[in-house]
Amino acid sequence: MNPFLTVIPVQNQSLKRASLEVLSRTVELANEKGTTADVLLLGAQPETFSQLVASHGADRVFLVGNSLLNQHLNTPLLKAILMAIDSIHPSLVSFASNESTKDILGALSAALGSPALPDVASFWIEGDKVCVKRPVMAAKILANVKALFPNSGQKKPVLVSVRSGSYEVVERAGRGEKNVLEFAFDEGTLRQTLREVVKATAGTVDLAEAEVIVAAGRGVKDDEGKRLISELASLFNAGIGASRALTESGAYDPSVQIGQTGKVVSPQLYFAVGISGAIQHVAGMSNSKVIVAINKDPDAPIFEVADYGLVGDLYQILPALIQEIKAIKG
Amino acid sequence: MKFFVCIKQVPDVYAPLQIRDGEIHQDSDRQVLNAYDASAVEEALVLTEKHGGRVDVILAGPEKAHETIRKALAMGAEEGIHLQTESTSGQDSASYAHLLATFVKEKEFDVLSFGKQAQDTDSGLTGAMVAQLLDLPYTTNAVGLAIEGDHLIVTRQGDIGQEIIALPTPCVVTCSNDMNDPRIPTLKGIMGSKRKPVEVVQASSLHGTSLASGFTGEALTHTTSFESMPARKAGEKLQGEADEIARQVAKILSEKTGVFS
Amino acid sequence: MDDRFDCIIVGGGIAGLSAALTLAKADKSFLLIERGEFAGAKNVSGGVLWGQDLAKLVPNYWEEDQAGWERFITHRRLSFMDDQSSLSIDFKSVHLANPPYTGVSVLRSKFDNWLAGKVEEAIAAGTKSMESFIATNILVEEILMEGDTAVGIRAGEEEFHANSIILAEGVNNLLTRQVGLQDKYVPADHMLTGVKEILRFDQKILEDRFQLQGMSGMSNEFVGFATHGVEGGGFLYTNRDTISIGLVLGLKDLREKKKKPYDILEHFKAHPVIADMIRGGESVEYSAHVVSSGDARVIPAKLYKDGVLVCGEAANLLLNAGKAIQGMDYAMRSGILAAETVIIASEKNDFSEQVLCGYQKALDDSYIMKDIRNFQDAVHLLHDPVMYSKVPNLLCDFGRKFFTISNEPSKKASQLMKESIREHSSLWEMAVLGFKGSRAL
Ligand SMILES: Cc1cc2nc3c(=O)[nH]c(=O)nc-3n(C[C@H](O)[C@H](O)[C@H](O)COP(=O)(O)OP(=O)(O)OC[C@H]3O[C@@H](n4cnc5c(N)ncnc54)[C@H](O)[C@@H]3O)c2cc1C
Ligand SMILES: Cc1cc2nc3c(=O)[nH]c(=O)nc-3n(C[C@H](O)[C@H](O)[C@H](O)COP(=O)(O)OP(=O)(O)OC[C@H]3O[C@@H](n4cnc5c(N)ncnc54)[C@H](O)[C@@H]3O)c2cc1C
Ligand SMILES: Nc1ncnc2c1ncn2[C@@H]1O[C@H](COP(=O)(O)O)[C@@H](O)[C@H]1O
Repeated sequence: MNPFLTVIPVQNQSLKRASLEVLSRTVELANEKGTTADVLLLGAQPETFSQLVASHGADRVFLVGNSLLNQHLNTPLLKAILMAIDSIHPSLVSFASNESTKDILGALSAALGSPALPDVASFWIEGDKVCVKRPVMAAKILANVKALFPNSGQKKPVLVSVRSGSYEVVERAGRGEKNVLEFAFDEGTLRQTLREVVKATAGTVDLAEAEVIVAAGRGVKDDEGKRLISELASLFNAGIGASRALTESGAYDPSVQIGQTGKVVSPQLYFAVGISGAIQHVAGMSNSKVIVAINKDPDAPIFEVADYGLVGDLYQILPALIQEIKAIKG
Repeated sequence: MKFFVCIKQVPDVYAPLQIRDGEIHQDSDRQVLNAYDASAVEEALVLTEKHGGRVDVILAGPEKAHETIRKALAMGAEEGIHLQTESTSGQDSASYAHLLATFVKEKEFDVLSFGKQAQDTDSGLTGAMVAQLLDLPYTTNAVGLAIEGDHLIVTRQGDIGQEIIALPTPCVVTCSNDMNDPRIPTLKGIMGSKRKPVEVVQASSLHGTSLASGFTGEALTHTTSFESMPARKAGEKLQGEADEIARQVAKILSEKTGVFS
Repeated sequence: MDDRFDCIIVGGGIAGLSAALTLAKADKSFLLIERGEFAGAKNVSGGVLWGQDLAKLVPNYWEEDQAGWERFITHRRLSFMDDQSSLSIDFKSVHLANPPYTGVSVLRSKFDNWLAGKVEEAIAAGTKSMESFIATNILVEEILMEGDTAVGIRAGEEEFHANSIILAEGVNNLLTRQVGLQDKYVPADHMLTGVKEILRFDQKILEDRFQLQGMSGMSNEFVGFATHGVEGGGFLYTNRDTISIGLVLGLKDLREKKKKPYDILEHFKAHPVIADMIRGGESVEYSAHVVSSGDARVIPAKLYKDGVLVCGEAANLLLNAGKAIQGMDYAMRSGILAAETVIIASEKNDFSEQVLCGYQKALDDSYIMKDIRNFQDAVHLLHDPVMYSKVPNLLCDFGRKFFTISNEPSKKASQLMKESIREHSSLWEMAVLGFKGSRAL
């Protein structure tokens, strides 16, 4: 069987945990099938991370370095990946599912004539098929979807992108053999222009990486509420997220929206504060390890997914909780 | 500018549903306009109302999907194109992308817009597939659109922030529902929608035409069954005085999670 | 586009849709306006549609695959409950199993949406396919009047005109009041509140538990303990793979006894007899809605005036005389009758009272007004506290004694009945009640 390849774009010199989750799973499957587990690192200086991926089981590490890849822009990223696939001939290509991946997966599939299985919760191999479970219908249920492996030699790998939090990160030594791939991209052929990136989240904790997330919903009505959210978050160095109700109203930046339209997160601990628990919100946070919900409505649907449901007014509970946590932390 | 908006008819995700023998059963077979596509239609209408132009919608689906085309026409789109398929089963983003691309390949337009994903499959592939098949510049997950001369200016919600991207037309964009609140059709709109033209094209007539890549109209992925989500264990509900429940939960969290260190 | 319709129908419930289907078949142009996102979106109902009018509106509806109905009722039960037991009158017969059925259980959001589809089909089949519409997600705010004649509607900024208007807006009849037809003040005390929960089962389990064959179903009404001492009654109906269970409760009595409908429903569900029936069911929906009491005193004296007709629960047409709630069948028939009157009026091109009064006449001659008049005593009797406390208690007491075999000499039933009556009431009270009851029913 041809190699399994995990594609990891490195933007702004950071490699996300979700990529290591996918890599860990892909390495496991490659071992099972007796094929090589390869990694494609793309970015401005991707070699910085070759050691890291080797220590998570990568047999071969392919490096595509180009400053254009430091920020997300679909055309160069797509071209680079196509070029790499053309030289590696993988049978399976896996990605962490994030906005960057979502931007190119369809195009990659069409360029290769490859089946694409986006946003899966799990994937495995059965005979000549890649099988996945993926949430559908606003993440209310799981669909079992299959795609046929290409015959070896064909340049039609099966493409899979994986939701964050679906697999554990496993450290295991891989050969870590480095291969630098030449990638020349003529900027003149670039039809779209990236004018600027507005980073509203600069300086705050990245939700994709956060161990703890404090998320605010419409129940957080005013500056005092936002202050309480920030204070609770600061105790854990937590990321601050929000429901669509609050990103839409402008109370929080759209980039911190959690859910189907926003981000899928998988922290160790998730505080849902004044969030009702609409299916589209839950779709983005149900992979969290422990969920604590604070809501004054005892019948709020969020309590159906919460490990600990605190029924009451957030304006009373948060100050008390902040105090208790401070006391425990000493 | 001339907009083509690709719209999909999807089952109402709010309607109660259950799974029997691996199949989805919904209490009602109510079908609706995909929420993200409604936002794409809305945005196209707003832009053409401001800058001139027209909005047509394209839908690939069975006969029943006609009502969803009418919904978009009631919102204000001028013409509907119905790529009529036998049924929805056995289709995937790749087979729809092939149909849509084959149809629009011969047409003139400035912007071909999509929803960022379909609410039933949550795939989010079709837009970028069509862009690739037609070799058009594209961007996904738009949360804002503007027109500057012959460029479409897209605000895209990316992983770390919002990217402002200028696309020359013709181009492809996929839209998030965060960009607007789709209008509710007025009585006049609803009544007018019946008189607007809907071109029906048999999907079978578009089959087989091979586009540049390996897409031929065949589905590349196959949904074999559905199952319930593994339910999260029903948790504990703490009720009572704020101080007391805060103390309880703080204690539990410090003991059971590793995030206090 | 000429905006003048033969008729504008306000409300896409059963009354409105039945009127629309009747008009569509007669090739009249109409505009039906429903405020919900789709027909049925806002509608709550326990759900048995009684009678055979549906078969007239949609011939052979039972042959359809994806039809909007759930099960046809072949098994009926009326149960009297005390806190531990129930004594039932139970009737089951295969003669109810042949179409056209005399009762089908329905879930409104599905049924109404399906019926709306039938209306669309009928519109498309006629010559007025470009002039008739169903419009959803639109609230009619006002009926436009010229003098004392209704001439159109206003929804937001939009105004549309029609030769006639059918008000089918349901029990919260604001527009009926606006045009002055709800002439009688309806105190909240005359209203009931209905609460309903839908419980889902594995279809096989449901069919086994209730001994259902194919699409057959059962309906069960409850008197007594069900309402925890509050005026009203309970119901349980089988759907395809769910059951609808609920209560209809007097608003005044609830207020006076300081009880909440939801708590009473929980109480009802915990009754050993009910608990056995609903074991393992997963709650999928809970809803509440006001219901007319079926008291003839709140039905408007006149259901028409120049240019406008009122039908369904907007006219407070409903009967709950103990053996069933009849609101949907009344809505269907009155909707049909209103539409038929509009058809006659448009043939005469006269939409004045002189012609529209034919609607009231037709209603008076129909089973609806006949039953409402004939069973008023039953309605009042049902609201007598004796009926939801003493009667069920003594019947269950009798049942317990009658059915308990204790290896002691048994007493005759008549003797047992006397004892039970004495214990829970008095012979005199029951004799009066029995007399009233036999006259009322
Ligand atoms: C296609 C589509 C995609 C969507 N994508 C997303 C998405 O990505 N993310 C997302 O979040 N939503 C999304 N939504 C919207 C979603 O359906 C809900 O509307 C939204 O999540 C509601 O946000 P909320 O829970 O903050 O507000 P609400 O539903 O209004 O809930 C507020 C809650 O706060 C509680 N509360 C109020 N005051 C207090 C108090 N003082 N103390 C304690 N509790 C209090 C209330 O009891 C209530 O439960 C999407 C919708 C659609 C149609
Ligand atoms: C819990 C419960 C159980 C019941 N069980 C039964 C039963 O088993 N059998 C039975 O026969 N009956 C039953 N009923 C009664 C029955 O539901 C009603 O009598 C029946 O629905 C009346 O039909 P309708 O069409 O007149 O009104 P509705 O069904 O109430 O329809 C009125 C429609 O008009 C719309 N509307 C209202 N105002 C406007 C406006 N201004 N603009 C636009 N649209 C508007 C509403 O959204 C609604 O869709 C039950 C009722 C309840 C609450
Ligand atoms: N059958 C279809 N007809 C028209 N447009 C479609 C169809 N399927 C998908 N689309 C468009 O593609 C988007 C993404 O779909 P998907 O890739 O299936 O998640 C949708 O939001 C629509 O804009």
